[in-house]
Amino acid sequence: MMERPGTVFVVDDDLSVRRGLERLLRAVGHRVESFGSAREFLEQRSDQRPACLVLDVRMPGQTGLDLRDDLQAAGCRIPVIFITGHGDIPMAVQAMKAGAVDFLTKPFDEDVLLHAVDQALARDHPGDAGRPPPE
Amino acid sequence: MSGEARGEDMEPTGRTDPTAPLSAPSVRQIVSAAIVVAVAYFAGANLGALLRFPPATPSVLWPPNSILTATLLLAPTRRWWVYLLAALPAHLAMPAPPDWRESLILVLYLTNCSEALIAAGSVRAFAGEPTRFDTLRRMGVFLVGAGLFAPFASCFFDAAAVSLLHGDAYWEVWRTRFFSNVLTEMTLVPAVVLVIANAREWITGAGVRAKIEAALLALSLVVVGGLYAFGPRAIPGAPVSSVALFLPVLLWAAVRFGPAGASLSLLATALIAICGGMHARGLIGKMPPADGVLAVQISLSLCAVPLLGLASLIEERRRDQQDLTRRLTFEKWLSELSGAFVHLASDQMDEAFETWLGRLGQLLALDRAALLRSCQSGGPFIVAYTWAAPGIGPIPRASVSADYPWTVERLRREEPSIVSEAVDAPVEAGADAASLRRLGARSMLALPLVAGGRVLGALALVTVRTHLVWTAERVGRLQLVAEVFANALARKESEDALRAGEAMKSAILSSLHSSVGVLDRDGLVIATNPDWCQFPPHHAVPEGLGANYLDACRQMAREGIPLVAQAVPGIASVLDGSRVTYSLEYSCGTPAGERWYVMTVVPLHRPEGGAVVSHADVTERRRAELEAQRSRQELAHVTRVSAMGELTASLAHELNQPLAGILTNAQAARRFLEMTPPDVRELRSILVDIVEDDKRAADVIQRLRDLLRKGEFQMRRVDLNGLIRDVVKLLGSDTVIRNVLVALDLEERRPTIVSGDRVQLQQVVLNLVLNAMDAMADSPVADRNLLVRTEHSDPESVEVLVEDTGPGLDKDAEALVFEPFYTTKSTGMGMGLAIARSIIEAHDGAIWVEGKRSRGAAFRFRLPLAEEPVE
Repeated sequence: MMERPGTVFVVDDDLSVRRGLERLLRAVGHRVESFGSAREFLEQRSDQRPACLVLDVRMPGQTGLDLRDDLQAAGCRIPVIFITGHGDIPMAVQAMKAGAVDFLTKPFDEDVLLHAVDQALARDHPGDAGRPPPE
Repeated sequence: MSGEARGEDMEPTGRTDPTAPLSAPSVRQIVSAAIVVAVAYFAGANLGALLRFPPATPSVLWPPNSILTATLLLAPTRRWWVYLLAALPAHLAMPAPPDWRESLILVLYLTNCSEALIAAGSVRAFAGEPTRFDTLRRMGVFLVGAGLFAPFASCFFDAAAVSLLHGDAYWEVWRTRFFSNVLTEMTLVPAVVLVIANAREWITGAGVRAKIEAALLALSLVVVGGLYAFGPRAIPGAPVSSVALFLPVLLWAAVRFGPAGASLSLLATALIAICGGMHARGLIGKMPPADGVLAVQISLSLCAVPLLGLASLIEERRRDQQDLTRRLTFEKWLSELSGAFVHLASDQMDEAFETWLGRLGQLLALDRAALLRSCQSGGPFIVAYTWAAPGIGPIPRASVSADYPWTVERLRREEPSIVSEAVDAPVEAGADAASLRRLGARSMLALPLVAGGRVLGALALVTVRTHLVWTAERVGRLQLVAEVFANALARKESEDALRAGEAMKSAILSSLHSSVGVLDRDGLVIATNPDWCQFPPHHAVPEGLGANYLDACRQMAREGIPLVAQAVPGIASVLDGSRVTYSLEYSCGTPAGERWYVMTVVPLHRPEGGAVVSHADVTERRRAELEAQRSRQELAHVTRVSAMGELTASLAHELNQPLAGILTNAQAARRFLEMTPPDVRELRSILVDIVEDDKRAADVIQRLRDLLRKGEFQMRRVDLNGLIRDVVKLLGSDTVIRNVLVALDLEERRPTIVSGDRVQLQQVVLNLVLNAMDAMADSPVADRNLLVRTEHSDPESVEVLVEDTGPGLDKDAEALVFEPFYTTKSTGMGMGLAIARSIIEAHDGAIWVEGKRSRGAAFRFRLPLAEEPVE
């Protein structure tokens, strides 16, 4: 497995999942910043690059999909990996159409996650911000 | 002689009033009476003419004046003129000596009338009762007024007329007429009056012995008369001694036959003596006839005074004696009457009332007697018991209030009422008198029967054949009778009421399907219904009447029967008043298999305390309940499973969350282990998280299992707040998925513990919350608020409110939401709320939907709080 360390932002309201993800990503050498809600992320995230976002879909308050829409609207094109406790096909399709890197259903295997993260980090190029993603 | 003279003295307690007209006599009756008077006057004048010593004008014995006097005594004063006028033609027609001028005859008529008027007037004025000679005072008034004063006064006019118009010597005429008229008045008037007044009664009423004695007396008079007329003539001292000859017979008559006997005997003696004297026979034969007659007149008149006085005195004594005897008889009768009713049971009283009414009627020689009852105050008087003399029709048994308004009015005022045909009857009693006449009755006395301050009825006494005068004394005595009847009637009423109450109680007891026993304060059985003794659990101990149920139960408790040990304090607590009611459901093996009973103990609300214990067989009900419970459980299970289907997404999330945590952490741990050196601190912390997540997953599964369990109904103490929190936790992810904001407002100050089945109550909350969330499925995301609140609506119960901000319910839906299979959802079964209701009702609670809301729907249910656990 090729390791390309970068910054991974984890946003999940479930503390246990959040901490597990943080540990796993750190163990493979990523820098990890985790947040309990969309608001926390928006307020406290650092400006590291390359970066990607591991985002829980269902959260009280602002959901993961909402956050992603807001970020896009603000011109931020950070790659996103959606994770969800229950997934259904329409939701996954919607997420992928909107440019998500991957859509993972909990519980997911570490290989699947790490692969998705690597892909995401690979997509994130400094200076890309404001440009549409390559097709 | 006079058609108006009636004097039946048929009844022993008093006399009827012969002067009271039963009805106004008809003209025909008056005319025929006048003719009788005229005939009698004419006959008397002829007799008087025979007994005359011509040329002297006055007769020796002159009956016409006395006949007039007797007539005037018998007739009412307002008709005196009729009879006086009737005598005029008789007077004019009488055989007069040829030398009498018509003027003399007319004047003699006037003097005769004057004598009769003076005599009758003085007796009426001073004796009161003109036809009675039964007291010494009345006889005295008669002797002085009619016997002496009337002839004395009238003789002056008579003598003056005769001496002027006929030329007789004044004093000669006066003397002859005076002595003649004195004797006639004294002997003839009482004889005529008493014969007319009493003859019919004597003939019908007197005993055979009295009649034989009267015959012997008459025979003795004939014998003595014969002796007087034809006997030896040499008795010295004649003619006075000649009267002495009659004296024993006269005394006999006076003593044994009263004024009537004395006066009749005196009349006979006078006739015999005067006839004897006139024909110069008998003991006065040796004297000149005029002197002899005068001697007879004087001696007989002198004799008449003490004889009649004696007779009246004896009569008076006899009457007093009779009155006394009668009073004693009556008092004895009254005491028998009271005695008869004292110990009589109320069901025997009907017969006794009729019997004693009859005895009273016979005692008073009445024709009808009746006892009327007035059941409520102011109610109608209804004839309840009657008696009628043989040959007299009975009083019809009906209400009499309408026919006798005046009588009823008086009875209600507790006053006696007398209705009769007498002229002095009150005008207001006109309707009553008319009703009485329709019954063919002549007089009626009605006495109120008063007891306990209430008019219970009336005693009505009626005469048909006679006209009875209801004297105050008689009414007073009859009021004593009425009092006895009233007390008996009051006792009968209360005993009947008591018996009716007893009968009703016994009928109610017998009709009960439960075994019912009534205990007194100490636990003694004082009443049971027939089922009580047949009651299977009672076979072990004697609990019949008089046994002590509580002691029997205590004994069984000591013998170690746990159920009875449980019941004893319950029964005792109701008996001592520390508990309002007690009930216990228990099962009991019987030959017919196991059966279920509910024992209920309720207090007897009376001063002496006690309780009613009933054992009701509830086996069938219980079976039905168990059946219903089982069906409900099955249905509930089905709906729970289907609800779970709806929740799958949420549940998956709920489980996947910890699973994801565990997997991620475990994989991270593996990497930390591979490091050199392994990060032990991180590993430890990972393990802690894994354990937590595992527990979390186990909790979810446990809650699911709880909800899906196909459990038996178990009554436990359940904290509603905790239960609601669990349900909300279970639905937590679902609420997140559905974007519903759940708010809990739980009562924390006081416990919200109810008694019930946890799974079933959970289901109620679950159904309500799911229902609310479904209702908000189409609402804007920002407006999906769910509120669950617990509160104490009253000290005995707790209420749970589930409120949403959905579209709410329309009026029709409000009425139908709890009906099975009612649904507005395309996927629902329509059973959720119906099941919720059946569960809540099985827990003695209530569930309803709040109406009239501007938005959203609110469901509430209320459950009784569990009793504090008894230590």
